[in-house]
Parts: sequence; C-alpha cells; structure tokens
Amino acid sequence: MSERKHISPIGQEGLYVLDTASWRTHRPVMDKNTCVECGICLSYCPVNSIIFNDENKYEITYNYCKGCGICAVECPKKSISMVAEGGEDHG
Amino acid sequence: MNYIQTLRTAKDVVTPGMSACQGCGAELILRRVLQLAGQNTIVCVPPGCLGGSGVVGWDYQTGMEIPVHIPLLTNTASYLSGVSRMYQRKGRGDVNIVCVAGDGATADGGFQSLSGAAERNEKILYICYDNEGYMNTGFQRSSTTTLGSHTSTTPLGSVISGKEQQQKYLPLIMSMHNLSYCATASPSHMADMVAKIEKGLAWSKEGFAYIHMFSPCPTGWLYDIDQGIQIARKAVQSNFFPLWEMENRKYRMTYDNKKPISIADFVKDIGKFRDLSEQDLAAIQSMVDDRYEKLKKLSSEADCNE
Repeated sequence: MSERKHISPIGQEGLYVLDTASWRTHRPVMDKNTCVECGICLSYCPVNSIIFNDENKYEITYNYCKGCGICAVECPKKSISMVAEGGEDHG
Repeated sequence: MNYIQTLRTAKDVVTPGMSACQGCGAELILRRVLQLAGQNTIVCVPPGCLGGSGVVGWDYQTGMEIPVHIPLLTNTASYLSGVSRMYQRKGRGDVNIVCVAGDGATADGGFQSLSGAAERNEKILYICYDNEGYMNTGFQRSSTTTLGSHTSTTPLGSVISGKEQQQKYLPLIMSMHNLSYCATASPSHMADMVAKIEKGLAWSKEGFAYIHMFSPCPTGWLYDIDQGIQIARKAVQSNFFPLWEMENRKYRMTYDNKKPISIADFVKDIGKFRDLSEQDLAAIQSMVDDRYEKLKKLSSEADCNE
C-alpha cells in the first residue's frame, strides 16, 4: 500500500469557500462620523464581515457579506445604511 | 474584558463563505461558539442546515480550519462520546469536544443518543440551535415547532391550520439528566450568550454541558432577513424563550423579565404564524406563562447577566 500524505483525503484540496458576496442585493455602508465604536454590529454579524481593524476602528468588509442588513437594524446610532448594489459601482 | 473585546480578537475558524441563508441565526451561533472554543477543538455537525451549508466540507475540501465530523442524524452524541473517551485516554483532556446540532438531530432523531451520553456524563459541550423545524430539507415540522406554525408538513388549510401540538421544551428535559451545566441562550442577548458558551466550555471538561439556543430562520419562518435579532429579542422579552442556566444543580434566571410583552406582539411579524387563530394564540400564551412560572419556582435567585 502506497504511503499517503493524509489519514483521510478530506481537506487535501484546502478550505471550501463559497462566493457569498455575489448574493448581495444591498450593501451596508457605515457612517464613520456618527459611529460611536460600540461594536454591537460586530457581535451580531452572522458572517463576521465586520472587523476591528489595525487602526482600532470597526470596518465593514465586502468579500463575503451577504447583505442581510442585521447590522443596519441593530446599530443603536443608525450609522449603517443599506445601499442598493448595481449601477456603475457594482461590486 | 467585555464580550465585544473577546469577540473582536477571537479567530473565526469556520470558512468565510458558507451557504447558510442571508441573516441565518444558526450561522451566527456556529461562528460565535467556535470563536470562543478556539483552535484546540474537535467539532461534530450532524446533517441539518449547518451540515448542508458546507461547514463539514465538500468533496476533498474541508469547511473549517479545525477537525470537523459529520455523523448521522441519530448518533451525534454517541459519536462524540467515543472521541471524548479516546482523548481522555490519550491524556488530552484539554481538547474541547463540541457539537453544534439542530433541533431535529437533538430533540427528535438524535434524542436517544443524546440522552444516553448525558446520563453517562460524557465530557462534551452540546449546542442545539433550535430553529423549530427541519429547515434544511424544506421546513418540515419537528417536536420543537410551536403550536399553529405553518410548515410544509403542517400546512394551513380547511382540515388543519398549522401544527396542532405544543412544542417540546427540551432544555428542561436535558437539565433533569443531572448535567454539569445546562442553559438556554439567545443571540439577541449576546453578552449572556458569550458568558454561557464560556461556562459551557469550562464545564465540558467535568462532564456533559448542554446549551439550547434560539435560532431565528428567515427562510422557514418567513420574515424579513434583517429582523432575526429583533425576533430573538422579542422571544426573550415575551417569555417565549426564557433565559436561564443550571449549574451545580441550581437553577438561575439570567434575564429577569419584569414587564413581559405579549405573545401576540412576538408573532406578529413572523410569516409562519400569519393565520394563527385566537384560540391558538391564547393556548401559546397560557403555555408560555405556565412554563415561566415553573422556571421561576425552580430558580433560587434572580440576579441577571444583563
């Protein structure tokens, strides 16, 4: 029997990653002027798309954000608004 | 360190792109549990929404950066009993043995193995995300589905109008297995949920720990995708999903609800309750009030986490 690299072949092709950003119809946009850095959006984001960046600020990333809008509803200062995707800046 | 500081530094070991629906409560629960459990963890995800959404991998790819298993629907707890015993024997009791299962794999099909593992007091943390049905296969009823809910097997029509039976209250049943730790948690009360996951992980080194989590499901319950946390919050505020824990055989309410809102207020934005009759509403309200009174009697003191 030939020597195998893995006990089980699961994982030999790395991590299963789906492009969930392509599902998004609306993107959350954070208003940095009214944000009070409470971090409530980070705690409720189901996809962990909101990060605490190197500059010690909360930041929304769009690589996997599904655009559910929970962050916009839960923000106590209403600093996050949902903007329709599409048009020239479709991303 | 408060819970937000904990969460913002905790590494997410689940794949960033998993196919759970937009606004999925279970995805939020899975990520929070495994963020707190960390890299030194073995996790079991039985068939269900999470198992189907790619976190257990696909073909030769894996869905997590930690070891993840997909057992059968019925044998999750017994499967992990074996893993846990082996790690004890190897002298690796530091490894977190965690299960994240839906209500079908917990309350229905998987109940006998769960009950057995709980009775043997195996060193496992068992998390149930309760979305009140078999959502992965098309929203069929389960034993934790609420009375009057519209599901694909309890349709609204002239013969029946939604589920005819009251839900089974699993956390109290589980707590009667003399567990090390048993609790209920809701993602809307995140500080409380994080504290309970941390306690559950600590207690899972001594014996069986069980946490029952409320998991709103936008696709199956038919509500707007951004309303999940609001609905979870109303479930707690209406005493539909009371928050409590049992530790050292002592029950404690962790959210003392001084002014509960009505069940009518809780169900009004949820599509699966759209044809709820007055009688059904009254029946749910009376069941909820009765259950809350019982829990109050069981709990010795009323100091709250938040």
